[in-house]
Amino acid sequence: MIADEALRGLIRSELPDAAVTIYDRTGTRDHFNVTVRSHAFLGKSLIEQHQLVYRALKEALADGRVHAVELKTIIAEN
Amino acid sequence: MPEEIKNEIARELASTPIVIYGKGTKSMPRCGFTLETIEFFNRFGYPYEVIDVLENVPKREALSEMTDWPTLPKVFINGKFYGDTDILEPMAASGELKATLEAAFNGAPPSPKQTIDLH
Repeated sequence: MIADEALRGLIRSELPDAAVTIYDRTGTRDHFNVTVRSHAFLGKSLIEQHQLVYRALKEALADGRVHAVELKTIIAEN
Repeated sequence: MPEEIKNEIARELASTPIVIYGKGTKSMPRCGFTLETIEFFNRFGYPYEVIDVLENVPKREALSEMTDWPTLPKVFINGKFYGDTDILEPMAASGELKATLEAAFNGAPPSPKQTIDLH
């Protein structure tokens, strides 16, 4: 279980410019749809973009605060 | 990463082109995302293997370390890591996945699903 702001904070610790949209899929605050838009994704493959976000969420996933994430990344162009 | 686990994973990845590490088995998935991935590959008609690592913590950790990817399921095609359906869906939409699978199976078209006539 994690609050939106805490989740957003974790992602921004790895991707400071990230615009993060969070949707609680189940109402239990541990299954999320997360969309991340960042300049850091530029020039990276989709899998590398996801790996960047997962690096930020590694501990929260390991300790169970976050159980599952359906992730979408968007390359910020400007 | 323990050598033994590393070798086990290498053997599994070499055994068949599509390998899905997930929670539960093909006939009894124990996680919505694993089920979603099974349904995803059913669409293509190629054979695939689901390896249940739900209870195998050392192996899960080894796989996460290998791939820099902390969640299950994890999909490999011809030994290469492809993440999960968040990656595979866009690849399917662009046609890239079809090409990848055709290359992995030496261009062989998907075999028709076997049906059993119950009548």
